[in-house]
Amino acid sequence: MTAANPPAGVPDPDFHERLTALAEKRMAAGEVYGEAAADPVNLPMIRHWAAAMGDANPLHTDAEAAAAGVHGEIVAPPAMIQVWTMPGLAGPAGRPESAGSPIDDVLAALDAAGYTGVVATNCEQTYDRYLRLGERPVPATRLTGLSGPKRTALGEGYFVTWNVTWYSEGERVAEMLFRVLKFHPGERKTTPDTRQPYPLGPAVNDDTAFFWEGVARGELRIQRCADCGELRHPPGPVCPSCRSAGRTYVVASGEGEVYSYVVHHNPPIPGWETPFAVAVVQLPEGVRIVGAVVDCAPAEVGIGMPLRVTYRQKDDNLILPLWVPRET
Amino acid sequence: MVSFSGSTAVAGIGATEFSKQSGRSELRLAAEAVFAALDDAGLGPSDVDGLVTYTQDANDEIAVAREVGIGDLTFFSRVHYGGGAACGTVMHAAMAVATGVAETVVCYRAFNERSGRRYGRPDPGLGGAPSSLGLEMSWHVPHGLMTPAAWVAMFARRYMHVHGATSEDFGRVAVAMRRHAATNPAAWFHDRPITLAEHQASRWIVEPLHLLDCCQESDGAVALVVTSAERARDLRRTPALITAAAQGSGAGQMMMTSYYRDDMTGLPEMGVVGRRLWEQAGFGPEDVQTAVLYDHFTPFVLVQLEELGFCGRGEARHLVADGGIEIDGRLPVNPHGGQLGEAYIHGMNGIAEAVRQVRGTAANQVADVRNVLVTAGTGVPTSGLVLSAG
Amino acid sequence: MRTLTEDEVQVGVALPELVIDLTPTTVVSTALATMDFTPVHHDPASARAQGSKDVFLNILTTMGLVERYVTDWAGPEALIRGINVKLGVPAYAGDRLTFTGTVVGRENGEFTVEVRGRVSLGDHASGTVRVALPDR
Repeated sequence: MTAANPPAGVPDPDFHERLTALAEKRMAAGEVYGEAAADPVNLPMIRHWAAAMGDANPLHTDAEAAAAGVHGEIVAPPAMIQVWTMPGLAGPAGRPESAGSPIDDVLAALDAAGYTGVVATNCEQTYDRYLRLGERPVPATRLTGLSGPKRTALGEGYFVTWNVTWYSEGERVAEMLFRVLKFHPGERKTTPDTRQPYPLGPAVNDDTAFFWEGVARGELRIQRCADCGELRHPPGPVCPSCRSAGRTYVVASGEGEVYSYVVHHNPPIPGWETPFAVAVVQLPEGVRIVGAVVDCAPAEVGIGMPLRVTYRQKDDNLILPLWVPRET
Repeated sequence: MVSFSGSTAVAGIGATEFSKQSGRSELRLAAEAVFAALDDAGLGPSDVDGLVTYTQDANDEIAVAREVGIGDLTFFSRVHYGGGAACGTVMHAAMAVATGVAETVVCYRAFNERSGRRYGRPDPGLGGAPSSLGLEMSWHVPHGLMTPAAWVAMFARRYMHVHGATSEDFGRVAVAMRRHAATNPAAWFHDRPITLAEHQASRWIVEPLHLLDCCQESDGAVALVVTSAERARDLRRTPALITAAAQGSGAGQMMMTSYYRDDMTGLPEMGVVGRRLWEQAGFGPEDVQTAVLYDHFTPFVLVQLEELGFCGRGEARHLVADGGIEIDGRLPVNPHGGQLGEAYIHGMNGIAEAVRQVRGTAANQVADVRNVLVTAGTGVPTSGLVLSAG
Repeated sequence: MRTLTEDEVQVGVALPELVIDLTPTTVVSTALATMDFTPVHHDPASARAQGSKDVFLNILTTMGLVERYVTDWAGPEALIRGINVKLGVPAYAGDRLTFTGTVVGRENGEFTVEVRGRVSLGDHASGTVRVALPDR
């Protein structure tokens, strides 16, 4: 995941040095205060937020319930902390969230060098206390990290990390770590729009749909007889032990180990690059399942190898449960 | 005792040449093989009142009947499950004859498996339809596990792990089959033996299987004439009596991918067939002088020797290493060279070889043959025969 | 609505699943309620122009939904101390967001709940929520 040199296509060979120097300068500058919330913490905005989120917690909107509750008055949902100091429709020009923010010129430098793509990767918030109506939090931002260039699935890019601390009348009320990946969008390997249909899709019917629906949600489901409880894979419409057609499922732990395996070399298989490994995987739940083993050299696969399930998108419609080595 | 045992016989065999490109339609191959089998028996098309083939055969019974000039048919039947059908066609024919449903039944298999549709190639449609087979395949095909070699390799790897067998143990089977084919003029690999070193050096198909662990791909056709033993004795050739014939499928059976049963080192369906055959025959493995074992991939030859009682579990590699399956060995296996050496006609050519061994007319004739065991496709629901000298 | 107490919650317990159908209205109303007017969260044409297949949830909403998921289960008096989220695939309008969670730890009066929010493309958000519950 590391690369020593700037990516090809970046005209300025000294870019990495300049960017690092700029980031170090901004990090050394520490916390930079922005403007206080335009509107104090208020019931209408809380009510809109709660309605949109489907959050029915009465302590945020019902004065009577709130008065009787642990806070003794209405408090804002803690996850709203960033909302209070958002620039709003007027935009950064009209109401900069953090005037002279230490992150702006770092992000601008990345934009200028072609790292125009942006995707947030982490958001971590800590709440010291809940905000009351009428408070006006003030944000303070500091750049805390720059790493890269790194090769990612989206393309080569830099991770930029900053922290925002919110204060209310000098008291810290919340803190947030935020990390984004700024990447070269041109290097993106696949986009959903250009993805070819996967040629080896499974047939699915009433008896197997639950499995594939589970896979789409990141669950490895094993059919379980609703009457006698027997687990069964591959699944079928009738329990061979008790004749029950009542079916349910359990979600497997996602761990397993290689019971047997092959490494396919010839002939070529559509949708796969040879050689590739496929295993019969023994699950701790007691059933076996077949799946390709990825993210490791086929030569490293062996009987007894611990595996963990992973879910890989094969085309716009199909996700396959595949297996990767598991640390034990 | 089943009613066809000893009362029915194979009275004629016929085949086309075995090639990589027949240059003819599959229906024409079928007709040619049927003509040859009838000629061999000394019968004419008008004597035939039954036809049996594989569900996978592209030539309908009525089409073959039209080409050959067969008139009324009173029995026609198809046997399912790929190469597992081979001996099953003879069993169906024998049942029809023994019950009086038909008098003379021809079994046939014809295909351009090399120049036409090649079974070893991946077929993306395998897992595409929500039939029971399509759904079964859908647990495997999406992962790229979709060729016969790959399906068998999965069993082979487990067998190696449990019994300590090696790729060389599989290779010795291939070497023996090619040695037999080398002296069979009808074999594609006539005069072309291989060494174990060549086997080991051949490219990987699907580990742990090398190219030379896999049978060849062939164009060709084979036909067999089945009638009553009594009638067969009056015909041109020495009859090969049908002493036993059986089909078998095991618990948790799938097509080539029965990976979900307790054990992956056996072929329970072949165990079913074996038990039925010995029961019908009234004797056991020690009373057959040669065996024609289905050899699309070498590892299952070892497993069959174990399932059929020729040796204990995990011991087949010792039998093979000691030369036990060669012409002068304890149990000569596939004197014609099998599908690794002669041709891949989906097991039907192996039945013809068994008939020749009973007649005493094989290219690599085993001495004093009284009983021959024949098996059909492995990894699938299968079938078997014991043919005997009258 | 009552709030779970410390004694009622054991490590290992699973939270009930929460399924949210992400209608365009969900995506747009939450974006605006969080004061995020970036076009990709309310304008399908703009979202497509930047390579997305439709409008998608903004991060402030993801954080809000994670909070709601845990307080829906724990009750109104539960105190959310922190939310750490690793962001994954986009949650597009028309998709379905399914939250699952498990209590994985308890320390100094705080429970740690592991939360995963999945959409058809995979994990949209995964992480932990720290929550304090009343002692009785």
